[in-house]
Amino acid sequence: MTQRNWRQDMPTADAYWMNKVLYEVHHLASHLERYRADPDAYMNDTPLPAPLKAAIRDNDIGAMYLAGVNPYLLRAHCLGLGIPEPVFLQSLRRVAQAPADGGTHG
Amino acid sequence: MAELVGVWAASHTPVMLNFPQAIPDADRELIFGAFRSLGDELRRADPQTVIVVSDDHVHNFFLNNFPAFCVGAAASYPTPVEHWLKADKRTLQGDGEFGAHLLATALHNGFDPSFSMELTLDHGVLTPLQLAGLAGSVRVVPLLINCVQPPLPTMARALQWGCVVRQAVASYEGCERVAILATGGISHDIATPRMGQVNEAFDREFLRLLAAGDDDALVRYATEHVNEAGNGAEEIRTWLLAHGASAGARFEPIYYKAVSNWYTGIGLGRWPVKARS
Repeated sequence: MTQRNWRQDMPTADAYWMNKVLYEVHHLASHLERYRADPDAYMNDTPLPAPLKAAIRDNDIGAMYLAGVNPYLLRAHCLGLGIPEPVFLQSLRRVAQAPADGGTHG
Repeated sequence: MAELVGVWAASHTPVMLNFPQAIPDADRELIFGAFRSLGDELRRADPQTVIVVSDDHVHNFFLNNFPAFCVGAAASYPTPVEHWLKADKRTLQGDGEFGAHLLATALHNGFDPSFSMELTLDHGVLTPLQLAGLAGSVRVVPLLINCVQPPLPTMARALQWGCVVRQAVASYEGCERVAILATGGISHDIATPRMGQVNEAFDREFLRLLAAGDDDALVRYATEHVNEAGNGAEEIRTWLLAHGASAGARFEPIYYKAVSNWYTGIGLGRWPVKARS
């Protein structure tokens, strides 16, 4: 076990925007449908670097975790999109040995 | 003046409702039985209002405005807020008057919570109430602690909050009997590489300390070891608040098991704040 509960003591600006995408997809009317229809278009105006948008679009759970996405938003995103539990867990397990900082996506 | 007729705590996880079959039938029956037993105890105490101490899992609160402590002061609460939670939509009756009294008591004593009159409650409140057979049959006052998005309030502050809640009950003239149900924890990880690992040793020591009568040791242990127990274990703040409200009563466990396929240490228990008949 790592000995720390949180990736970030305070969300970075990038983590904030990733969190905002995940939050709005699951809380604002019709956003889930819009997101499912075209995630790239949904995030078109979101000020995030391309690799982080790709992590969201590709359901790269591990990369989102490394980028500091709030774990409850990440978990809810998995349940809300119907990502199978084994896929979700395996993606997280794969980053267990990753360096403490820095994403692996892209 | 109202009387505090009972204080209970129980773990919660949406998995109990979404994936109940993920654990062996025998375990699930014991756990659901423990929740029903908690519900029976609470009903026998006959509270008119139940303060449900929980956390909002980034549904009502987001990074635009995230309170450390929020008192619910609404007349009713729709639930669940999660579109993916396998639970029927319902409305829980609130107690806005007690909520307002709790808020005023807290502010008067130097605590600075936010308040809300439009919470849509999540699985943290709903799951234990539903499994205990209490959803819809008790009035609730949510008291939500930020356990989910750093920076978090301290463990010590959660314990101190318990004293304020106790004082609010004792000074309330609007009803006669109030109970507390704290929900969350114990050891678990949400969406981290160690999700599914449960730190049973942490849980058992935490439960032991709740019964040991040394609040300084309890808070110190919670503060120093929570990072070994997982981000979900940050929810032990709700247990500490219940403990603080119990004014020295020793915690009594009802059930505990480390349930890795539900990703969580499932614990339930009570503080005997009143001589039980």
